Amino acid sequence: MPACREIAMRPQPLLVIALLALSVAWAVLVFEMVQSRAARQQEMGTGRLGWREIAWPFPRDGWPAGRAFRCQSATCVQDSEIYLRAKLGFCNCDTGVADDDEVDRVADIDLINPRFAAPAPGRVVRVADLSGRARNYDLESGEGAPHSAIGYALSHRCDLMVAVIKGSAAQPLLEQAAQQFLASHEVQRWMLAALESGK
Amino acid sequence: MQRRVGLAVLVLSFVAPVAASAQQVIGAAPEASNMRLVGYNDLQARSAYQPTIHHQGDRWIAYIGHHGGTEAVPDPVNPMTGKAEPNGTSIVDVTDPAHPRYLHHIPGQEGKYEGGGAQMVRVCDGKTLPKGDRNAVYLLRTLGSEAHEIWNVADPENPVLVTRLGGLKDTHKSWWECDTGIAFLVSGAPDWRVRRMTQVYDLSDPAHPVKIRDFGLPGQEPGATGAVPTELHGPISLGPQGNRVYFGYGTNKGGMLQIVDRDKLLNGPKEPTPENLRYPEISRMPMSAFNGAHTTFPMKGMPIAEFAKDKDGGTRDIVMIVDEAIQNECGEPRQMVWFADVTTEARPMMISSYTVPEESGHFCSRGGRFGSHSSNESMAPVYYKKLAFIAFFNAGVRALDIRDPYHPREVGYFIPQITDKTDKRCVTIEGEERCKVAIQTNNVETDDRGYIYAVDRANTGLHILEMTGEARAIAGLP
Repeated sequence: MPACREIAMRPQPLLVIALLALSVAWAVLVFEMVQSRAARQQEMGTGRLGWREIAWPFPRDGWPAGRAFRCQSATCVQDSEIYLRAKLGFCNCDTGVADDDEVDRVADIDLINPRFAAPAPGRVVRVADLSGRARNYDLESGEGAPHSAIGYALSHRCDLMVAVIKGSAAQPLLEQAAQQFLASHEVQRWMLAALESGK
Repeated sequence: MQRRVGLAVLVLSFVAPVAASAQQVIGAAPEASNMRLVGYNDLQARSAYQPTIHHQGDRWIAYIGHHGGTEAVPDPVNPMTGKAEPNGTSIVDVTDPAHPRYLHHIPGQEGKYEGGGAQMVRVCDGKTLPKGDRNAVYLLRTLGSEAHEIWNVADPENPVLVTRLGGLKDTHKSWWECDTGIAFLVSGAPDWRVRRMTQVYDLSDPAHPVKIRDFGLPGQEPGATGAVPTELHGPISLGPQGNRVYFGYGTNKGGMLQIVDRDKLLNGPKEPTPENLRYPEISRMPMSAFNGAHTTFPMKGMPIAEFAKDKDGGTRDIVMIVDEAIQNECGEPRQMVWFADVTTEARPMMISSYTVPEESGHFCSRGGRFGSHSSNESMAPVYYKKLAFIAFFNAGVRALDIRDPYHPREVGYFIPQITDKTDKRCVTIEGEERCKVAIQTNNVETDDRGYIYAVDRANTGLHILEMTGEARAIAGLP
């Protein structure tokens, strides 16, 4: 009992030092994370591609949130949006993205609209060092303008990077905008980093 | 930036030494409570999935499915043949559990990890199957992702292939009713939209399989459009008497329990239209997007002591649902064990859960996966509705007292020691790969005598265990 009282009244110096060190380390990490996030936004949001990063617009599901961008200039395709998300732990380590059904399942098209249909088979694509498949989709709309989307599923060892572009423009225009976006150095760097780090 | 992060990491390394000390080392004693190691076999250092223990004449034989090989050793050498063989099925005589004897290895499909091997095994006696050869013992197994096979293992040292059902894009944890021969095969039919769905077969005569139907969730069938529901992991049937099949969908995400009327499934309209797929379904219980349903183990008619004086509801129908952890070093939401009360079948409800406390072994820092994977699936009286055994990867095997499923309670555990054969498990940190070696208990099964068989995904082998102390008394074992 007395020992307990002593600990309560006189904190051990080592504990205080450790706590201080922990606080400093935490502050450094938070500062760097905030700075790096701001830098990423600068690079990807206001660059020559014309995309501005917006908040992830979908409810929480089984995968951590990804990154979302909206076109804000004529250099992309007005009113279109792109969503990128790393999905770590994709099981087909050997076969990668095997077929179009795989793209239907994993490419996050269902987040935009669960009622979608693919008018044609997909195609093999390669982005940075990632290979996979892309497929065009028609999204069922109510009374508004019809929307299209293109889903990309790209594998990296046992993990997956998915991207979706959606908009009211014709699919060739959406595809061109998506390819420019995905081909940019900054986006490719982020995708690889996200797959490597799990962030 | 890198220098400052390095400084932070250095500081943290001084204040977090406890986590690092949790790592296993070769030669250290196993960690155990109320469980004891009886025997061991290294299974030729092959990554293990499902064990099935079969009483065969006067012998007890363990059949153990394997994943494919590793990058380093794609096809381990079978010391009995001197040949490199792709991982398949190990056959081990466990009549004397203290001295398990490796009898034979049936090679599997070429391919690494889940891309090869022969993960799943079920065994039925020919004399039990309605149209089987009375002298045969049939082993149903997957052949990697491409086929299901049936072997005659009446002479377990010399198995003979009977049937192969091929042309699939994936397979997984199937179920086979020995008294009827009906099999619910987890398959990837080429035209379905998911890797894994159900193909129902009549395997009452294993030499002449008869396809009954394909089954899955509406939206998974050929020609469907729109969102694709979570794929199947595996079913467990209660046969014609129970007339229910419990399907688990999802592995570590978006799980779902589906309760199906077996008779309607077998005898209802078979064309895979959305209406026909819905017809046999009694209910579904969606789980959180964070958790999957790897194993759905039914336990009907459990008397609940706490409810004994209630005028209604004194016995409950329970399904134990086990998720599968997939990511190394806690890289995902915790995968654990759930208990659902399905007494009112149309409205199943989750009532309790169980996980190993991370802090009890600093399991997130040990390396490899931490979280549940699977449970024993034997319904033999020795443990059924009393004790359940859960494979918990780097936390070994956990024994749960489930007599009150509203309050499951851990009563024992065994974490095997690693060996020089245990494979490493890696994570990527800041672009660099960092690896650790830890036990990865993947599956567990029990036999009618009460022995517990734990097998390791990281190539450590087979551990045969028994209960001791209070936990042994719960099972009524002497």
